[in-house]
Amino acid sequence: MILGRLLDYLKVSAHQVSRKRMRVFLTALGIAIGVAAVIGTVSLGEGVRYQAVEAIKEQSDLTLIEATADIRGGAIQFITPAKIDELATIQHVEASSAVVREAYTTKRQTYLEVVGIDPGGIEGVIQPKFLRGENLEPGSRQAVLGHDVAETLQRYEGVRFGDTIPILIRRYDEDGMPVDEEVQFTLVGVLQERDDAFDQVMLIDRGVAQELRGDEAAFDGVLIRVDSPDAVFGVVDDVKALGLTAEGAFQQIESVNQLMDVVVLVLAFFAGVSLIVGALMIVNTMVTSVFERTREIGITMAIGASPADVVHLILAECFYIGLIGGVLGNLLGIAFTGAINAFGKPFIITRLGDTFSTFAEGDITLITPEILAIGMAIAIVLSLVSGLYPALKAAHLNPVTAIRTGV
Amino acid sequence: METIIETKHLNKAYNDRVTALADVNLAIEKGEFVALLGRSGSGKSTLLNILGGLDAPTSGEVRIGGKNIDFSDRKSLITLRRESIGFVFQSFNLIPALTAQENVEYPLLFNYHEKAARRERAADLLATVGLADRAHHYPPEMSGGEQQRVAIARALVGDPLIVLADEPTGNLDSKTRDEIFDLMRQVNRERETTFLIVTHERELGRRADRTIELLDGSVVL
Repeated sequence: MILGRLLDYLKVSAHQVSRKRMRVFLTALGIAIGVAAVIGTVSLGEGVRYQAVEAIKEQSDLTLIEATADIRGGAIQFITPAKIDELATIQHVEASSAVVREAYTTKRQTYLEVVGIDPGGIEGVIQPKFLRGENLEPGSRQAVLGHDVAETLQRYEGVRFGDTIPILIRRYDEDGMPVDEEVQFTLVGVLQERDDAFDQVMLIDRGVAQELRGDEAAFDGVLIRVDSPDAVFGVVDDVKALGLTAEGAFQQIESVNQLMDVVVLVLAFFAGVSLIVGALMIVNTMVTSVFERTREIGITMAIGASPADVVHLILAECFYIGLIGGVLGNLLGIAFTGAINAFGKPFIITRLGDTFSTFAEGDITLITPEILAIGMAIAIVLSLVSGLYPALKAAHLNPVTAIRTGV
Repeated sequence: METIIETKHLNKAYNDRVTALADVNLAIEKGEFVALLGRSGSGKSTLLNILGGLDAPTSGEVRIGGKNIDFSDRKSLITLRRESIGFVFQSFNLIPALTAQENVEYPLLFNYHEKAARRERAADLLATVGLADRAHHYPPEMSGGEQQRVAIARALVGDPLIVLADEPTGNLDSKTRDEIFDLMRQVNRERETTFLIVTHERELGRRADRTIELLDGSVVL
């Protein structure tokens, strides 16, 4: 019944609105321009965000995450065998492997970033392509080098494929004096260039790394391969839910998102100033309309309308202005973003240079159904809010004076 | 007979100076057709507005349909207007944006009735006032007499006890005025609706059941 009543009010107001088409159209246009400005700026922001995220996805290994220990409420959440098992069962985790991280130096003082990992984990998680050689043999003192570090060792230490890499591991004796122990690793494989952190890493067997550290149960992290880029953030949340920290290329996307959130908000705020102008236009139109219909409103009250009924009738008219403003605003907004793509894009691309060459292929604006829905909602809500003052003014009319003096 | 409108010692003053009504005592029976005569400024409209719950008296009592009216209770005044009173004003009292049919239905939007019920009642009443064929015309497309017929139909749509009419024939030529007057008398007879009509035309008073004349806010006996 309430819905029926609402529709009845809307029907009466539709008659009122349709009598003053030009005025309603112009007023709605005021709101529409504000909505279009917001849509244009937000869609530009969203478009840039989308392109930046796509560029990150293309240039980095997004589906590789590393879970590490975290400090929660003063207690360290270690990587334990139980946690390792739990991580492996998270949905969308394709493969996972516990790792030990070490920093070794060669005999000639070249710094080596070392990851101790099961040879199976190398296959499943790192998914290597070998430039030369092959994977480690479990339990043996063998090494696979990333592309860059292999080049460095070859250039400065003359270490070639098949050679041994002499490494010094620093230990301390009973008196606290440093003693270096020399360990030999055979170079059995070199990875192709990957453009990620593994270019700089020496991979060795995890058991060997734990043994050299003197702690068989040491884990520094778990490398996780997620089955699809879309599932990455879900897996990150699950990792965090286990009390661990997650790291990886996805953090770049997080930073881009944080930055773009602020940028979009600021842009939308300035564009939104025009909405205030539109809102004032509605206030003006409706105050005029109420004044013109003073007698009509008085009669409406005399024949049984309560002040609330009058408010509803006036707000129903504002709803139409908002609806028309929203539709026009969305159409103008789409046209506006089209113009940004056609004329603004070449300009922006020449300014940004080659780094953002991916922009050239796609649109730099992105209109999503959400943006259009929000544009619509802004127009309607703003119209209703703007109508509140004229509506209350109408409801507070004294019917006797309104009928006697009204136009 | 049942007394449907009763006032006791009704006073209305504006700004403590201008006296609009002074000690008005009235009793109108159910089904009566009463003309309220008086020059402009005699307090006719003020009395009508108070009886219809649009204005409040300074002092005194009003009983409508046997019930005392509490003028401080806005809700009960709205209910009174919705359920017991039908108003007809001087010309231009229809909503220009609505058709004749919609104008007649209009009060039932507040005194809420479902769409089908509204439509049926309004169509019946338009037929009663002889405007069945004008149902979908807008007020500006109708003559002054036709507009007042629609206004009478609108006043009757809530099935009120009383119709209060303020100069309903004020802006009409004499022939149309007589037609409207006849229509109101006819409705009064057929439906036993009580009519109280404010007018300054004495000859209309002669055709009423009874006239009440006001002079400077007091009833002239």
